[in-house]
Amino acid sequence: MGAELVALGASLLAAGILARAGRRIGLPTIPLFMIAGIIFGPNTPGLSFFDDASDLGLLATLGLVLLLFYLGLEFSLGDLAKGGRKLVLAGVMYLTLNVGAGLALGFSFGWGNREALVIAGAVGISSSAIVTKLVVELRRVANPETRVILGVVVVEDIFLALYLSILQPVLGDAQGISEILISVGTAFGFLIVLAVVARKGAALVGRLIATDDEELLTVCFVGFAVLLAGIAEEVGVSGAIGAFMAGLILAESPVRRQIERAVLPLRDTFAAVFFFAFGLTIDPGDLGDVAIPIAAAVLTTFALNVVAGILTARLYGFGRRAAANVGLTVLARGEFSLILAALALEAGLDPRIGPFVAGYVLVLALGAPILASQSKPISRCIPQRLLTSRPPGAPSG
Amino acid sequence: MSSDITENDLPGIGRSYTVSGTDGSRVLVVLHHSGRRDLYVLAPDEEDDPLATVTFSDDQARRLGSILSGAYFKPLAVAQVEAVIGGLLIDWATIRADSPGLEHSIEALEIRRMTRMTVAAIVHADGSSIVAPEPREVLRLGDQLVVVGRPEDLPAFLQLVIG
Repeated sequence: MGAELVALGASLLAAGILARAGRRIGLPTIPLFMIAGIIFGPNTPGLSFFDDASDLGLLATLGLVLLLFYLGLEFSLGDLAKGGRKLVLAGVMYLTLNVGAGLALGFSFGWGNREALVIAGAVGISSSAIVTKLVVELRRVANPETRVILGVVVVEDIFLALYLSILQPVLGDAQGISEILISVGTAFGFLIVLAVVARKGAALVGRLIATDDEELLTVCFVGFAVLLAGIAEEVGVSGAIGAFMAGLILAESPVRRQIERAVLPLRDTFAAVFFFAFGLTIDPGDLGDVAIPIAAAVLTTFALNVVAGILTARLYGFGRRAAANVGLTVLARGEFSLILAALALEAGLDPRIGPFVAGYVLVLALGAPILASQSKPISRCIPQRLLTSRPPGAPSG
Repeated sequence: MSSDITENDLPGIGRSYTVSGTDGSRVLVVLHHSGRRDLYVLAPDEEDDPLATVTFSDDQARRLGSILSGAYFKPLAVAQVEAVIGGLLIDWATIRADSPGLEHSIEALEIRRMTRMTVAAIVHADGSSIVAPEPREVLRLGDQLVVVGRPEDLPAFLQLVIG
């Protein structure tokens, strides 16, 4: 046990110190946690804290559960309703472009149909964590386009929930259409049961868990989230979606605010373990074999994000600066891509998905913040005539 | 003046409040779930970067808040500062030379029975203070009374004691 504790402590410390160094030059934490896993893993020379990522299995899964639990907790259809149809349109437009392109890329790689489905999600969905952090760090919370950016991320989160619920049965070992249909049916049945609980039984669950004592509250909500994740996994739905639904149910409870505060340090710690553990599985030598798919995916995503930024700006009558801010901020990829890759590897899909998603996330998680911080000069490259739906006479951005 | 404040949800971050100043400039406050607060002084043109930004910890923000609200140090200019918490009001009032309560005890004035307000503390002119004063405490010139009660009972109190 002592040796394991030393390894775990050293891993967290290494990840934390590396991320702190990156923080000084404005880099997000997620890719650096993963890099720490690569450096201190079995596939690189030098120290290896864990030779097998599965040694961190339970703790890393806890990170995944808490990530999705927080997503469910923060999830609010009300935010979307307030944003109106325009916001939904902007989000759906973004997803159609990016998930569509991801699916096309996935099939063009020829790694298989299930692999293509995973790649569609990994390439299509932005990182909520990096995007929100970017908006705060770049001091853009007050900008009019920021509400659109956060709204698009909310639409992506909804999509992620639906997508995860159909993905697991497809990833599972169901053979043939009928078996897949049955497991998709079970998955949706389970989700509907949980959705009903969220609507009707939230008060009951709330009473079970709600207490003014932060210690007891934390123990209870973590138990609830982990339990639902486990049950979901047992009935053949992804544990991630179970955790998401647990968050959704508790979002209706009177102690939502307390949970939001209490879950953050837990989520951050165990999510770091999850990203580190993912890094352990990556052999930098494999990155060369998937360099072309990575380059193709990065370029496609970049181009489509610029297009989506411009289309969103047209929709809202924003200027060039806002168009660039939308496109370059939402460009960040991170936790969701890594979660999908981890699920795919666990299900025994083509192992190339691991290094592919790792490389793709590294480029875009590190590149998007740099590009977003330079959006002002970059925005001058956007031809003004592409934003013709601006109200006439308005000053250019 | 609550109509001057606009409130927005920031999914994944927290909430934001925009407050207008008397000179027409606007300040945006971001309350993070983590307790962090960001303050933006906004440029007149929405598309420009904010003129200034400051980040506070929860503790620092509360201190700034209490200064702004006048609770930390009550400037003379702010005569009508009142804080309402959960429907209860806390206010400060100073005994002047012409106040009807001058040189009377709390008991004699029957403050609680007549006005339903409670004197929670007295700060004397020399800076010394008493928390939860006895009913026989006599109100002196320059005493600052900290009173607690329902907002609707405040006028009666002011009429009876302060004048």
